[in-house]
Amino acid sequence: MQAHPISAGDRLRKWGRSVIRNRWLYLLILPALVYLIIFNYLPMYGVQIAFKNYKPVRGIAGSEWVGFKHFTTFFNAYYFGRLITNTLLLNVLSLLFSFPMPIFLALVVNNIRSQRLKKFTQTAIYVPHFISTVVLAGILYILLSPTNGIINHFLVALGGKSIYFMNEASWFRPVYIISGIWQNAGWDSILYIAALAGVDPELYEAATIDGANKWQKVRYIDFPHLVPTATMMLILNCGSLLSSATQKTLLLQTGGNMATSDIIGTYVYTMGLGSGQFSYTAAIGLFVNVINFILVLSANKISDRLQGETLF
Amino acid sequence: MSDVKTSMPRRQKEIRADRIFNVFVIVMVVLVLLITLYPLYLVIICSFSDPALVTSGQVTLYPRGMTLVGYRAVFQNRELIHSFFNSVIYTVSGTILSLVVTMGAAFTLSRKFPGKKLFSFIFAFTMFFNGGLIPTFLTVRDVGLYNKAMVCVIMGCVSVWNVMLARTYITSTIPEALYEAADLDGASQIQYFFHIVIPLSGTIIAVLSVYYGVARWNDYWTGLIYLNTRSLLPLQTILKEILASLESSRELLMSMVSDSAEQDAELLNRAQIAKYCIIVVSTVPAVVLYLCMQKFFVKGVMIGSVKG
Repeated sequence: MQAHPISAGDRLRKWGRSVIRNRWLYLLILPALVYLIIFNYLPMYGVQIAFKNYKPVRGIAGSEWVGFKHFTTFFNAYYFGRLITNTLLLNVLSLLFSFPMPIFLALVVNNIRSQRLKKFTQTAIYVPHFISTVVLAGILYILLSPTNGIINHFLVALGGKSIYFMNEASWFRPVYIISGIWQNAGWDSILYIAALAGVDPELYEAATIDGANKWQKVRYIDFPHLVPTATMMLILNCGSLLSSATQKTLLLQTGGNMATSDIIGTYVYTMGLGSGQFSYTAAIGLFVNVINFILVLSANKISDRLQGETLF
Repeated sequence: MSDVKTSMPRRQKEIRADRIFNVFVIVMVVLVLLITLYPLYLVIICSFSDPALVTSGQVTLYPRGMTLVGYRAVFQNRELIHSFFNSVIYTVSGTILSLVVTMGAAFTLSRKFPGKKLFSFIFAFTMFFNGGLIPTFLTVRDVGLYNKAMVCVIMGCVSVWNVMLARTYITSTIPEALYEAADLDGASQIQYFFHIVIPLSGTIIAVLSVYYGVARWNDYWTGLIYLNTRSLLPLQTILKEILASLESSRELLMSMVSDSAEQDAELLNRAQIAKYCIIVVSTVPAVVLYLCMQKFFVKGVMIGSVKG
C-alpha cells in the first residue's frame, strides 16, 4: 500500500462527484429550503427595520438608520412594565399549572387495567386538542356569559352572584390557564404515555417480588422514567416564556380585562398592523425573540449540566 | 414460624394498598373523562335544543325541545358557507403541498450527502429564532402574497418539527439494507424515494396529514394577518368575529331577521343557539379526521419521541 498525498484539487473533485451522485437529494429538499429562506430567513434579514425608520416607499434596505431609538422608546414607555409583567406572569403561571397535569394523566392512564377503557380514555383526552382556538374562545364566551352562561346559572342557583368572567381583569389568567389545561393536558400526555410504554416489565416483576405495592411502583419505577421527557418539555417551554400566547390572548381580550390581558404579542399586533408602526413593533419583536433565544440556550445548558439531557 | 406470622399482615396491607390504588385510578379516570367530555357534550345537546330553554340554563343533561332552528340559521348564512368551502380548499391543497415538501426534505435529511450539516442547521435554527410578526408580514407583502388566496395554502406548509419527525421515522423504520439493495439494482435515489420510502411511510404520512390538516383547518391567524378581502377568508377568521366577542353577533341576527317579525329576545336566543351550531359544524371535520387516523397515532408518536 502506498500513501498518496491527497491534493486540494483531488478533494474538490471527489466532493463534486459526491454532489452529483446525490443530485436528487438536493432536488427533494429544495422546496422546503426555498420556503424556509423566503418565510424564515428573509424576515430575519428584514428585522433590520428595528434599527431603521421604515418607510414603505423606500423599502426595507432603503430606509434610514436610527440605531437603538425604538428600543429605548419601548423601554421608557409607561406601559413597558405592564406588558412585560403581563406576558411573563401569563406564561410562567400557565407553565407552572399546566406542566404537571400531563404527567399525572399519563400515570393514571398507564395504570388503567381494562385495555378497552384505557384505549377509550386515551382517545377521549386527545379530542380537545383538535378544537380550534377560535372555537375554544367561543365556548368560553358562551359558557361563561354573565346572563345566560351555564356556569353563572349554576353559581346563582347555589346562591352566589353572577360573575362577568370574560370582562374582569382578575379572571383573565384563570380562564386562560384552565381552558389551556382542558385543551392540551391530554395531548401533552402522549409523550409521557409513550415513555411509560417503554418501561421494562421485568422491573415491575422484580418490584412485586420485593414486596412493593402499586403506589411504590409508580413512585419508584414510573415516575423516574418520566424525568428525561419532563426535562425536555420544560426546556422547550422555557424558550417561549415571552412569546407564546398571542393568538389565544387576542381572542380572549376584551375592554374589561386589558389590565391583565395586554401582553407583548397582542400589543405588537395592534400597534404594528393596526397603527402601522412597523419599525417600532419590529424592535419589540426582536427584543422578545433575542430573550427567548437566550432562554432556550441557557435552559439547554443547565439541563446538560444536571443530567446530560439536551435538545440539540 | 414467627417469620411467617409477621409477614402475613404485611402482605395483606399491601394488597389493601393496591386496592385503594385501583379505586383511586378509576375515580380519576371518571373525573378526567367527565371534565374532558362534558363541555363538548353540552355544546352538542344545546345546539339541538329550544333556544329559550338553553339561554335560561335548563339544558344540562339531555336535549330539550328538539329543534333545528340554529342549524337552519347557520346554513342560511351565505358568508359562513362560503368561508367553509374556502377552508376546505385551503386545507386540502395545503395539506397535500405540505406532505410532498415535508417528505422530500425528511428523506434527504435522513441520507448522508455533502452539506448535510449545513442543511440540518438551516432547518433547526428556524425553530429557535425568527424575524417576528412584522418583518414576516412585510416579507409576505414584498413577495406579492398579501391578500392572495395562495397565502393560506403556502404559509405554514413546512413545519420543521414535522420534518424532523418524518426524518426520525424514516431512519428508524426503513433498514439501510433496502437502500443498498436498491442501489445495487441501479435504482436512483429518486426512484428509491418514490418506490421504497413513500410506500413504507404510510403511518407517518397519516400522522402528518392529521397534524398539517388540523393545523390549517383551525388557523385563523393567517387569514387575519394576510387577507383583507372578505370573500377569501377561511372559516376560522370569520368565526373569530362571530364567536370571540362579548356581543351577540350582528351578522347572525341579520341572517335571521328575514324569518318574521319576532321579539328581540327570541331573536337573541336564536343567535345564541346558532353559535352552538357553528361550533359543532366547524369542529366536526377536524375531530372526525383525527378519529379516522387515530390508530396511527400511537406508533407515529412513539417513533417521534425517540430522539433523532
